[in-house]
Amino acid sequence: MATPSQPPIRLTTHRNFVYRLVLATLTGRSVHISQIRSSSPSNPGLAPHEISFLRLLEAVTNGSQMEISYTGTILVYKPGLITGSAAGLGASGGVVKHELPSGCTRGVSYFLLPLCLLAPFSKAPMNVLFTGPGVITSATPTGDMSVDSARTAVLPLYSQFGIFNNIELRILRRSNPGHNGKGGGGEVQLTFGHQVRLPKTLHLMNSGRIKKVRGVAYSTGVSASNNARMIETARGILNPFVPDTYVFSDVSSAPLVRAPGEKIPSGKQRTGLGFGLSLVAESSTGCLFSADVASPPAGGQPPEDVGKHCAYQLLETISKGGCASSAAAPTMFTLMAMGSEDVGRLQLGREVVADENIIQLARDLTKFGAAGWGIRDAGDNLDGDVIVSVVGRGIGNVGRKVA
Amino acid sequence: MSGKRGKEVAVVSRSAEIETHIENYAANRASDAFRQFFETQFKPLKLLSETVAQPAASTANENEDEDSGSEWDGFPDREEEKEIPQVEVEVIEHNKTAPNTPDDGPDKVARKAFMTAKPPPSVSEASSARNSSTPAKKKEADDEAAADAENLKNDLALQRLLKESHLLDSATDLTPSGKNRHKAMDLRLLSLGAKASLFEQQKMPMSHRKGINAKASKKEETRRREAKENGIILERPTFKAKSDPKRRERGVGNPSIGKFTGSTLKLSHRDLINMKGGSRRLTAKGKARR
Repeated sequence: MATPSQPPIRLTTHRNFVYRLVLATLTGRSVHISQIRSSSPSNPGLAPHEISFLRLLEAVTNGSQMEISYTGTILVYKPGLITGSAAGLGASGGVVKHELPSGCTRGVSYFLLPLCLLAPFSKAPMNVLFTGPGVITSATPTGDMSVDSARTAVLPLYSQFGIFNNIELRILRRSNPGHNGKGGGGEVQLTFGHQVRLPKTLHLMNSGRIKKVRGVAYSTGVSASNNARMIETARGILNPFVPDTYVFSDVSSAPLVRAPGEKIPSGKQRTGLGFGLSLVAESSTGCLFSADVASPPAGGQPPEDVGKHCAYQLLETISKGGCASSAAAPTMFTLMAMGSEDVGRLQLGREVVADENIIQLARDLTKFGAAGWGIRDAGDNLDGDVIVSVVGRGIGNVGRKVA
Repeated sequence: MSGKRGKEVAVVSRSAEIETHIENYAANRASDAFRQFFETQFKPLKLLSETVAQPAASTANENEDEDSGSEWDGFPDREEEKEIPQVEVEVIEHNKTAPNTPDDGPDKVARKAFMTAKPPPSVSEASSARNSSTPAKKKEADDEAAADAENLKNDLALQRLLKESHLLDSATDLTPSGKNRHKAMDLRLLSLGAKASLFEQQKMPMSHRKGINAKASKKEETRRREAKENGIILERPTFKAKSDPKRRERGVGNPSIGKFTGSTLKLSHRDLINMKGGSRRLTAKGKARR
């Protein structure tokens, strides 16, 4: 979009696929990704959820071009302008409707988190409704967080960058992963109505102490007592640490999805049964740590175990230290890198920075022309935290440049 | 206990003694029931259990007492207590957490705040919101609003005074009254956009109006002439646009063309041209034909 003379950035493999495409869209550089699962004999090329993400990108941008090779192992993406849900460009009534296919194994947060990264830089407010037989709102075995965690642990982070108005994540229907962990029948609507020119520079060095723990226990299509059992166990573990612990329970029936059978073409089927727990700990300085565990699609795990795992996972996340968990760090780093040409600082736990995805993100950022990160030990504490300094690129919102 | 024993030592008539025992027994049974109820709810109280164990023993002794007659001293206290095995109630604690029922009051508020579509407010925001709703802050805000309103009122009064002060030359009071009040009102109406003053005379004989207009135009003419003679440049004269004869307001239901007099519609030459969709060429033709 910006400079067609620039050669595309060449990347390989499917790792960090969504963040690469997000960075390409935000910086306006075209990318050429090759060797996408080229060594896989059974499923080479782009996976269904990746194709679905490309479709989503196409829906919220104007003028982006994608070329996928015959085998699907090579992708060339030329980004367009992020228009959001502007009328006339794929949006009807101000809402972009995005259907996920039934074969989708990733949770809807796989699409939500990158979309939230694009939204502050779009021209019009972003309003996307995720529907279809592939929307899984719970945590998934593929490592995606639940929608509740995305709402309570990731979206509040945007307020630290001066983005806080009109942000809503409405869970219209819940669903756990269906049979074999594929598909669901949920429905989620994201409204992101705060567009900025540049996000504020962030200096987050004081992690504070954990002040409260909140959570959501959800069960879809199964007994509500599962919720009570998860909550009981999780609170039993967490209450001695933080007395201000509340876990709310949300019970819903299993969603109906179309499943045309041989005899009944208009047949419907209940899918996405299960339960799960999402916990969020908040520190006195507003740092958030989240944990997510859901029952496996195959079943066979009692709710007590789920509650226990989730509580321990939360404690582990907190024990890693720093001001952000590894689930939230990519969002924060991307926003910092897209900020004004100023040095932002973020204190993180050593293990969080050493996370594979974070390092991959740092490498990708340098490929997209961002300055390298400066990393030094945090002086005062003994936890082994490091302070990461990130210089913003100062591009910000291209659609808002004139206004 | 010891008091009771003292009572036994003293010589009391037998029937009275039995009565007191029966009373005690009944009281003990009641307290026993209470104790059991208490213990099912909470931990067994050690102090209570001891006091409860004793009466049971004494009731047991009571039977012997009746057999042996009234002169019984009783066993030493130690032995008595050894005989009765202390029943420890087994207590099972499931966990120490209070039940997390979403139905009680504060929980409901928290649930409402948390389980919305919006991202939940962070600690600092929530606390600031709470502070703003405290009565002290609220009172402060109220005071500020009151001061603002007062200032605005004073400001308006001053503005009016400045505008209408010329009316007050004769008056002694600051608030205008009588004729002055009407004049002040008129000024305010004009400043708010009234088209004409209230004091402008609407109806008068035609000769008066003509006279007024003539006088005004004469005055203006002399002013201009004198200015011209003295070499003073005045503003450009404004011409009143003559009312368009075509645009005459007609009554409802009247013919839209011509003049209806004496129950006949009279059409002028111009009306005829208009009806034909008159143009200059057409009139020229007509003239030429003539």
